[in-house]
Amino acid sequence: MEFYIKVLEITCLHTILVLGAYLMTGLTGLFSLGQGGFVSIGAYTAAIAFLHFNVPFPIAILMAVLMGSVVGFLIGIPTLRLHRDYFLLVTFGFGEMVRAALLHLAQLTGGALGIAGIPKQVDLPMIHVSILFITILIYNLKRSRFGRNCIAIRDDELAASLMGINVYSHKMKVFILGSAITSYGGALYAFLIMFIEPNLFNWLESAKLIIITFVGGVNSIIGAIIASVVYYSFGEFFRFVDVWRDVLLALAVLFVTIFRPGGIFGSWELSLKNLLPWRVKKI
Amino acid sequence: MEVLKAITISKNFGGVSAVDQFAMVQQENEITGIIGPNGAGKTTVFNLITGVYPVDTGEIWFCGKNITRLSSHRITDLGITRTFQNIRLFRNLNVLDNLRVAYGIKTHYTMWEEMVRGSRAKREEQETEELARSYLAYFGLDQYVDTFPYNLPYGLQRRLELARALMASPKLLLLDEPAAGLNPKEIHQLIKTLLKIKEEKNLSIIIVEHHMELVMNICQTLHVLNFGKKIAEGEPKDIQQNKAVLQAYLGDEG
Repeated sequence: MEFYIKVLEITCLHTILVLGAYLMTGLTGLFSLGQGGFVSIGAYTAAIAFLHFNVPFPIAILMAVLMGSVVGFLIGIPTLRLHRDYFLLVTFGFGEMVRAALLHLAQLTGGALGIAGIPKQVDLPMIHVSILFITILIYNLKRSRFGRNCIAIRDDELAASLMGINVYSHKMKVFILGSAITSYGGALYAFLIMFIEPNLFNWLESAKLIIITFVGGVNSIIGAIIASVVYYSFGEFFRFVDVWRDVLLALAVLFVTIFRPGGIFGSWELSLKNLLPWRVKKI
Repeated sequence: MEVLKAITISKNFGGVSAVDQFAMVQQENEITGIIGPNGAGKTTVFNLITGVYPVDTGEIWFCGKNITRLSSHRITDLGITRTFQNIRLFRNLNVLDNLRVAYGIKTHYTMWEEMVRGSRAKREEQETEELARSYLAYFGLDQYVDTFPYNLPYGLQRRLELARALMASPKLLLLDEPAAGLNPKEIHQLIKTLLKIKEEKNLSIIIVEHHMELVMNICQTLHVLNFGKKIAEGEPKDIQQNKAVLQAYLGDEG
């Protein structure tokens, strides 16, 4: 039983990170390989605040989110003027930079040894509530002006700016919000795993977040969540195929991109209208 | 009243002069045409007015305001909207959302209000949807609400783009080859629609077009461009007899 709970905890935690990636990459088309950097920033900020400065747990989490947002803002200023592949390269560099910095700031971060002895403060209900909360926020954003602007920017930046959308500042909002969600996930991670180290979340893990978003469907939050749950729990339950897990993921990605370029779930969303069609009044 | 005034604007692309000392004045509630052979710089004029490219020299004034250095989204906000030569609809937004996205600048709710579905956000969303639906009905697109734009036939895509450009109730509408790819019946319909919306919404329209029937029928003034330079300006019937224009289009006689 404990094993299953453990698996669920890790899976759901990764789902929070996928939600952050969904907002940036799925909805807005910002390919960020630096998500791992924000996870680490969140995890280390919360852990150091809690252990070294005796900050209470909720405030430590809040500090992590704040730190993530501020760093997101600072990184966003120069990088959000870049497009697709250039943006990807710079965020990749950022993620690796964070990793190198954590390794070398040994006095504060413990260097390669990491930080051990973080008490377990996070449990499953807490992660679930977080997921629910974040999903509702993103869902509400997606179905109103904010989300339409995101998709417009992803589809055609020039046309979007001629619809009166301030593309740069909108991307900035998305990036800060995404960073905040990701560092929140990172902070929870520290208090769940109880041990963090600089290689906690490398660029491959960041890339997986993007891939999962794409497999699930860039226009479907629920698709991203389901793809995330399936992928992260799959690996744990099927330890014996562990090496083949990434091969299977690669195959899944291949088939999805060929046969369902819009992702498995396309633009289907979980809603009352879709589940109970008869309950929705005709417009 | 002068809606738009371009004062000798120029634009070079790597030494090639795309627009050279172009000047025009657009009066309120009038339709102006910009014509010229391919590559004459017509679309570039639109791109300069809407801030897609910065102007090299010259100034652009809109309703008494200097918009020369403003960015595209600010210019749209002031009341200039446009369509595109090669249709640029948002492929991942359905027909309704393609219209709604253009009304975003008219709404006032904040990001926080939409996160928690505040009452103002809800009200303005409702307002947006009603307006979008009324435009879809106006343009005979109401049965395609949930369709994605690139599944529509070409003529309807053009109509949808026109509807989208009207969503934010602009003062000045720029149409980049609105008749391209339309059949004669659709062009006839377009002419009627343009004249109608011009009167109903007190719009000023500038059209870049190759289709002479459309241009000659609805424009009060024509500007003729060739190699970025204006070679003629005047009423359609005068332009038809203008020597320089005929030369640009048909080449030298004999």
